[in-house]
Amino acid sequence: MKQPELKKRHKSVSYAKWGYLFILPFFLAYFLCSFFPQALTIYNSFFENYRDGLTQVGPKFVGFANYVKLFTPDSTGSVDILKYAGNTLILWICGAVPQIVIAMLLALFFTSYRLKIRGQAFFKAVIYLPNLIMASAFSMLFFTLFSNVGPVNQIIQAAGWANAPIDFFGRTFTVRAMICLMNFLMWFGNTTILLMAGIMGIDQSLFEAATIDGASPTQVFFKVTLPLLTPILLYTVITAMIGGLQMFDVPQVLTKGVGMPDRTSVTLIMYLNSFLGTSKNYGMGGAVSGIIFLITGALSAVVYRSLSKSYKGGGQK
Amino acid sequence: MKKLISLTLALVMLLAICAGCASKSADTAASGAAASAAPAASASAAASASAPAAASTSAAAPAEEGKVFNIYAWNEEFKGFFEKYYKVPDGVTVNWIIVPSDNGAYQDALDQALLNQADAADDEKVDMFLAEADYILKYVNADATQDVKALGVTDFSNTYDYTVQAATDTNGTTKGVSFQCCPSALIYRRSIAKDVLGTDDPAEVQAKLDSWDKFNSVAADAKAKGYYMTSSDAETYRVFSNNTTSPWVDANNNLQIDPQIQSWIDQAASFSKNGYTLNAGIWDDECTAQMFKDGKTMCYFGPAWYFNFCMGNAQDPEKGCSGDWAICQGPQAHFWGGTWLLAASGSDNPTMLADIMNTFINDTDVCTSLVKNEAQFSNNKTVNETFASDPSYGSAFLGGQNDVKVFCDLAKNIKFENCTIYDQLLNEGLQTYMRDYFKGTVTEDQAWANFYKYVNEKYPSIVTPAA
Repeated sequence: MKQPELKKRHKSVSYAKWGYLFILPFFLAYFLCSFFPQALTIYNSFFENYRDGLTQVGPKFVGFANYVKLFTPDSTGSVDILKYAGNTLILWICGAVPQIVIAMLLALFFTSYRLKIRGQAFFKAVIYLPNLIMASAFSMLFFTLFSNVGPVNQIIQAAGWANAPIDFFGRTFTVRAMICLMNFLMWFGNTTILLMAGIMGIDQSLFEAATIDGASPTQVFFKVTLPLLTPILLYTVITAMIGGLQMFDVPQVLTKGVGMPDRTSVTLIMYLNSFLGTSKNYGMGGAVSGIIFLITGALSAVVYRSLSKSYKGGGQK
Repeated sequence: MKKLISLTLALVMLLAICAGCASKSADTAASGAAASAAPAASASAAASASAPAAASTSAAAPAEEGKVFNIYAWNEEFKGFFEKYYKVPDGVTVNWIIVPSDNGAYQDALDQALLNQADAADDEKVDMFLAEADYILKYVNADATQDVKALGVTDFSNTYDYTVQAATDTNGTTKGVSFQCCPSALIYRRSIAKDVLGTDDPAEVQAKLDSWDKFNSVAADAKAKGYYMTSSDAETYRVFSNNTTSPWVDANNNLQIDPQIQSWIDQAASFSKNGYTLNAGIWDDECTAQMFKDGKTMCYFGPAWYFNFCMGNAQDPEKGCSGDWAICQGPQAHFWGGTWLLAASGSDNPTMLADIMNTFINDTDVCTSLVKNEAQFSNNKTVNETFASDPSYGSAFLGGQNDVKVFCDLAKNIKFENCTIYDQLLNEGLQTYMRDYFKGTVTEDQAWANFYKYVNEKYPSIVTPAA
C-alpha cells in the first residue's frame, strides 16, 4: 500500500542554523586573521624577498632555497636552526617542568580537605599576580638587577661572597636560569588555578573511597587524582608547549636580541624576528615560520595522541 | 528592545575592529613613543603596520609652506639646541619623532617613513631628518633626500670640507649639512694620569701616548697601580676603524676585514686578558659608571659631543668629577660620528629647511652659543678659530683647557673615506659578538661565525666568508 504522503509540518523549530550563524564570526575572523596570513607566510617563504638599504630585492621565486639555507651548516659545522630549536626546547623544559610540578603541588595543597589552608583567596590572588606583569618590563627589571653594577652584584660583593662582580650575562647557565625563572614565575599561578579547577571537578566520594580502602596520599594521587586530571593536564601541557615553542619576549628583552653568550639563548622566534628587522627578509622569515609550524604540529600531535590514549584506556577499564 | 540593544552592541564591537585603521599621524606618534620604550622588533612592526593602513590624501602641493614641520632624530641632542637657538616661524609646529638608534631601530623607522613620503599627508611628510656618519651614505645616495643648494643653502665657506663631502652624493649634489664637526680625542682623567704618568699636562701626556705601543705599555703601568686603562673593550674601536684602508664590503659585496679591525680585536683581547679594561659595551652602565668620581678608568675616546652629552656621570654635581679631565690627540687621529641634517625629498617646508640649515652653519651668534654654552665643536671654521685663539677661553669640565684649539688642529686631518651604508650595524655587531671572545666564552673562530650569521640576518646581500 502506498504510503500517504504526509506534509512535513515543522512544529519544532530547527535551531541548527542559529548555531552555524553564531560560530560564523569566529571562523570568519580565523580565516581572515590567522589562516590567510599563515598561508601567505608559507607562500612568501618560497621567494627571495628582502630589503637592502632603501632598495627592495625581489620577490623572486627561488623554491626551497630558503629552507636549504636554513639547514646548511655554518663555518663551524653546526646547523643554526637546530641549535636554536635546542635552545628553545631546553628553555621550555626547564621552565615548564618546575611550573607544572609546583602548580600541581600547590593545587593539591589548596584543594586538600585535610590541610584546610586558610586565606586561600589571598594566596590565589598573590600567586596569580606575576602573570599580570608585562614580560618586557619583567625582563628589564632582571636585566638591571643582575647587571655587573646592579643591586644583586652589589649585595654579593658587600656580603663578601665574591670579590669581583659575577657576570650573570656572560654564562650560559645563568642566562638560561633567569629566563626559566621568569617564565616559571609568570605562569605557575595560571597553571595552579587550572589544576585546582580540575581537581575540584573530581567527585569527592572517589577520594573518600580510596582513603577508606587504606590508600596513602601518594597512592591516592597517582591512582585516583592523576588519571582523572588527564584532560586538564593535556590542555595545560599543550598550551605550555605552544607557548614554550613561541617563547620570545623574555629572552629578547633580557639579552637585547643577541641571545648572549654565544647565541645560546636564541629561541626560534627570536631567530625569526632577526629577519624582520633591518633586512625585512620575508623569504627567510617565512621559511623559519614554516619550520616552526611543522615542529609545533608534530609535537602537539605526539602529546595529544599519547595523553589521550592513556585517558581513553583508563576510561575503558 | 533586547534585540535592539544586542544589535547595537554587536555593531559597536564590529566598529572597534576598524579603530585599528586610524589616521597615520596617530600611528606615527604612537609608534614613535612606543619605540623609545619597547624593543626594536615592536618598533619596526608598529611602523610597518601603520604604513599600509594609512589613509592617503591628495598629493597636491600647497601654495604656501606647510604648518607642521616633522623632524626625525634618534636622541634629543639636536632638539635641545634647536629649541634654544632657533626661532620657529609663526604658525608652524615642530613635531619631533625620536626613535633610539639601538640595533638599527631608528633607521628602520626612518626607512618606513621615507618610503611612504609620496603617499603621506602633507602634515605627516618627513621634512628633515638627522643621520649619523655611519649610515648617512644610504640616504644621501637615495632619492629620499634632495639638493640643499636648490633650496637656498649655498654658503659652505665656513664649513669643514669633510662634512660637505659626507653629505654629497656621487653626482656631486649636496643633500644636507652638519652642525658639528667631530674630531675625536683621547679624554683622560687628570688625577689618574698624574698618578700613572707623573703629569697631567696635555702636551706631556700626548708625548707618552702617541703610539699604540706606548698606549699598551702605559696600560700595564695603570693596571699595576690599580686602574683601568679603558672602561670598555670597545672604547678604542673607533680609533682603529676610522683608520682603515678598505671599507666593510668590496665592490662585489664581499665582507672584508681590514687589518686595522684585526688589530683592534687583538688589542681588546689582550687588554681583557690582562685586566686593563672591562668587558662592557661603550654605552653600558658598567662603562659609564666609571665616569663618577670613584671610577678608576684613565682614558675615554670621543669628540666634543661625547664629553658634553655622554659623560653626564662625570658632570654630576655630587658624585662626578668635572674639571678632572683633559684631552689630547692620542695614538691616532680619528673622528667619530657627527650628526647631519638631511633634507627629505617632497618636504612641504623647503624655506624653513634651508633656514634651519643656514642658521646652524653660518649664523655666527648661534654657532658661538653652541661652542660657548654647549661645549660643542661647531661646523663653522671662523667661529672655532676665534675661540681657539682666545687665551681666556677654557672648558670648566676640562679643568680650563681650551678644547676648541685642540679640535681645530685635529679637524685638519679628518678624512671621510671607506664608508658603506652598512657601517652602523656592522660596527655594533662586531663589538657585541667579539665580546664573547674577549670574555673567553668562545674562541675567535666561533665569534667570527656568530658575527657572520648576524651579517646574514641583517644584510642578506653581503657575502660572508664560507668557512
